[in-house]
Amino acid sequence: MKFSYPYTNNTMWNIINFEVFRALKKKSFWYASIAPVLIILAVFGIEKLSIQNAQKNAQTQDQNFSQNAKISVLDNSGLIDPQLLVTQHIGVEPNKDAGIAAVKNGQLAAFFYYPQNPETNGIQVYAKDQGLSITQPYNDAATNLLKQGVSKAVSSATGNSEAVQILEKSPTVTATTYKSGAEINDLTNVIAPGIFAGIFFLVIILLSYTMLSSTAEEKANKTAEILLTSIKARTLILGKIISLIILGFVQIAVLTIPFVCAYVFFPSLLGFPSGITLSSIPINPIVVTFAALFFIVGLIMYIGFVVGLGALFPGGNDASRFMGFAIIWNFVPIYAISSIISSPHALIVTIFTYFPLTAPSTLLLRNTIGSLTVSESIGGLMVLILSAGIAIWFAVRAFRYGSMEYGRRIGLKELLRN
Amino acid sequence: MNSPVVDIQSFAMSFDSKEVVKDLSFNVSQGEVFGLLGANGAGKTTTIRALLSLLEPTSGTLLINGRRYNPDMSATIGYLPEQRGLYRNEPVIDTMIYLAVMHGLNRDEAKKRSLAYLDRVGIGDKAREHLSSLSNGQQQKVQLGATIIHEPSLMILDEPTEALDPVNRSLLMNIINEQRAKGSTVILVTHRMEEVEQLCDRIVLLKDGTRALYGTVDEVKNQFGTTVIALAYTGQLPTNEKLYSVTKQLPHYAELSWQKDVAVDEVFRCLANQDDLHITTFDVRRPTLNEIFLSLYK
Repeated sequence: MKFSYPYTNNTMWNIINFEVFRALKKKSFWYASIAPVLIILAVFGIEKLSIQNAQKNAQTQDQNFSQNAKISVLDNSGLIDPQLLVTQHIGVEPNKDAGIAAVKNGQLAAFFYYPQNPETNGIQVYAKDQGLSITQPYNDAATNLLKQGVSKAVSSATGNSEAVQILEKSPTVTATTYKSGAEINDLTNVIAPGIFAGIFFLVIILLSYTMLSSTAEEKANKTAEILLTSIKARTLILGKIISLIILGFVQIAVLTIPFVCAYVFFPSLLGFPSGITLSSIPINPIVVTFAALFFIVGLIMYIGFVVGLGALFPGGNDASRFMGFAIIWNFVPIYAISSIISSPHALIVTIFTYFPLTAPSTLLLRNTIGSLTVSESIGGLMVLILSAGIAIWFAVRAFRYGSMEYGRRIGLKELLRN
Repeated sequence: MNSPVVDIQSFAMSFDSKEVVKDLSFNVSQGEVFGLLGANGAGKTTTIRALLSLLEPTSGTLLINGRRYNPDMSATIGYLPEQRGLYRNEPVIDTMIYLAVMHGLNRDEAKKRSLAYLDRVGIGDKAREHLSSLSNGQQQKVQLGATIIHEPSLMILDEPTEALDPVNRSLLMNIINEQRAKGSTVILVTHRMEEVEQLCDRIVLLKDGTRALYGTVDEVKNQFGTTVIALAYTGQLPTNEKLYSVTKQLPHYAELSWQKDVAVDEVFRCLANQDDLHITTFDVRRPTLNEIFLSLYK
């Protein structure tokens, strides 16, 4: 199917239309957009199959173990009631060496040795080899046997059945946390701002090459000189940045639509934690507003930076070598995620928060986990706005002076001197 | 008198410490075809780029219609750069419309004119094809179309005939002449002297960034050249240094320039008296621009 661009007569919209529709016509754009959806679906499917298989195998192993295994023990701890062993058809070995020998010659499937102080010395299990996974039921059986013995002893000593139940099974815990006097649910609170952070990282991964090639291609095609005499470099670069943001939203829509459909028609597939639905996700207006601002200003800054890089290099291939350099800054804070969560005011986290190239992702992550104060958010936003301005200035200058240097890379010094 | 369309005064341009254009002044009048000539590296493209504000001049003024150029004036300008290209992976018509809208046309008019132009130059059937699928000559036609489609009052064409075969070159010459007839001013940047002689009213010739020759083609020839006698002959060409010198000699062709105090008929009398010389054709002519160009760069 062929289609024409819906041109308008306004220069900026003319650029946006042209840039957006020429990207949408490229197969590579759609491959890049749809690939993550397919990969996520494939991973989901494989994981689900693996879990089903693992559960089936575990059931079979447990059945085999309980039906066929011949087991003996030697209890030097005195914690296991001999009556318990009788009811479970478990034998007793006279000494450790005899138990091990019985396993070695195949008379026993397993031999459990409980030393005097099993809490410090540990339980020793000797069993017939049946592959790595088969040892787990033996280990569980050995531990359970000891637990049952201890429970029986406690029950006899205290006559308190509740104490025994607590020993056997950890009680459930319900935590309620408060922030500024208001009840906070940690898990659901991260969802709304977390969506912005997730989308930011996805757009960076999916759209960086399109950003880079949007100016590098013009340099390679030698169209820059014609464009620069027709429109102001600033108008062209702003048009490109807006186009790339629109393309980012298209990619987000492509990624989101399958999940929205799954949520509406097959919610169980998504495996939301119990009790969480879309309507139960809290929206804190301040947090979400900052998330949206960090996302959009951070994206503008990043696009400006990458578009400028594209104009400095002779062609897309040369520029793409610096893609890693451009992208990595956004992911550096993820390596410090433990510090961001546990020590949000550590020096390294503060540096990442206000250093322009790491600021967007750090601010989005900190905003998601709720470790940003309002004043820090405003400070971070100011840094982002200033950095976005500088990035656009850099991109305009790089295109203005770099794009006519066909076949040559323009240096930063040269760029500033012009 | 009308003010010039292009007015360049005392223009100088340096890159780092290298001065590539020095104290250059010339102007271009309304409706004329003006040749900006020079060898590679003479400063032609630098001058054009500075005129179109793509480069900031080191000193001097470069004005179009009395103003420093900015892209707001793009409706009046058609620029075909020396290093040129268009979006290779886009349909020809889309690119032409995109650029025409940037030059102030509305979309419908841009489409109408683009299709008419493509038909005119014989590639109407390529309108929906990607530029990359066209031959070099066809791509050149598209580029020229994108330059003139909005009917600019000033066209700046930097080496427009590069990569064109003789048929397409002739077509391009016709298009330039048509634009001139409509009142457009044309600056032709080239080192093809035969095109200059055919098209240009006035020229400026740059050498090492300075103005070496400037004026109408006649004025330049008068300024620089000496008239020669061109002979096609068989036999033996006599030597007579008192009367003339041989400036060019091939096996059956020679060019003679005669001495200042000698009349041309004395030269012919001398040649006529030579028994073993048979002159098949002769012409008394001024040197071509190409000859002037070559002698300037000797």
